[in-house]
Amino acid sequence: MSKLAVPVFTVLAAIGIAVSIYLIFLVTPLQFGLNEDGKLNGSSLFFNQKIFYLHTAHAMLLIVAVVAAGVASIAFLVTRNARWDDIASASVDVAVVFGVAVLATGSIWAKAAWDVWWNWEPRLTLSLLLWLILVGYVLVRRFAGPSADRIAAGMAIFGGVGTYFLYTMVGQDSHPAAGGQGVVATLGPGMRGAFWLGIASVACWFVALVITRVQSTRAERELREIRERGLDLGVLQ
Amino acid sequence: MTKPMTKWIVPCLVLGLAGAALAQPSPDDARKACTAAMNADPKFAAEIVKTADEAAALRRDAETVAAHTDAYAHVQKNERHVILAYAAMWIVAVGFVLFLWRRQQALKLEIVHLRRDLEAAALEAKPAEPRT
Repeated sequence: MSKLAVPVFTVLAAIGIAVSIYLIFLVTPLQFGLNEDGKLNGSSLFFNQKIFYLHTAHAMLLIVAVVAAGVASIAFLVTRNARWDDIASASVDVAVVFGVAVLATGSIWAKAAWDVWWNWEPRLTLSLLLWLILVGYVLVRRFAGPSADRIAAGMAIFGGVGTYFLYTMVGQDSHPAAGGQGVVATLGPGMRGAFWLGIASVACWFVALVITRVQSTRAERELREIRERGLDLGVLQ
Repeated sequence: MTKPMTKWIVPCLVLGLAGAALAQPSPDDARKACTAAMNADPKFAAEIVKTADEAAALRRDAETVAAHTDAYAHVQKNERHVILAYAAMWIVAVGFVLFLWRRQQALKLEIVHLRRDLEAAALEAKPAEPRT
């Protein structure tokens, strides 16, 4: 991994997020849908819709991180190559952070749009469960002893499968749907640029964080292995 | 001489005002009179219709303004939540960067300790100095 990767992705993310924020607040329109009687209808997008742009970006990359962790964990269990485990661990760490961002911004948006901080509907409940699985992964790695990597790998695979249900879950819930008929697919032309730039910028930020975390996880593991070898050989005390 | 006259002023005023009030036509009579006047004079009728239309338009405008004021209130109300949401994102990001920075510092410290331990081990295992 090139040493330039992290700075390059970080700079790209910083520029992209700055431009995204400019577009979100100063260029993208609000929508006021009026009924024939002049009253506002349900299609109106008020100022709180500005939360949508980066909330969705974090949610998409949360799903990417969990799927990446699941795939890397499968590779680790098959090959027993610790490098895959480093990638899985780093992805989950970043996913936990993105999960906090998604849950926090989602909750604030729910308060603004629905006047409730939380709603126990399927998509929200599954998001919280998925985040708890990720937190469980981190705790297992920290406290489960010598077999922690394999137990954690199983949890990451479980979480990766869970993202499918999170993405496709539609029902009688208030949360906007994903997919072909979802809110992203039906975005107005004035909003698409800011939305996709936001996604690209947060993706750069995500990649920079994952690479940094992989590097530090790998370095920690190698240091631990060197120390253990030194202790085994009696070179270190 | 003036006293008996002033005594009758107040009752006369009261009776006069009551009479004037009673002389007002009832709404039904007023409507009938107005209809008769409109039928008698088409110009007067057109003026009445115009005035009524203008009043209705003003009422509709007031409702539109109220709808926009309502929307504006929503916009104002939700500004606080947008600020909160963006602040939450920044706090989470900065928190994680701080966490990564602390881990890096711990890693550097660990490398320093390892180097020191290896140097100490190398000194202990140092072979005897060559004879001169």
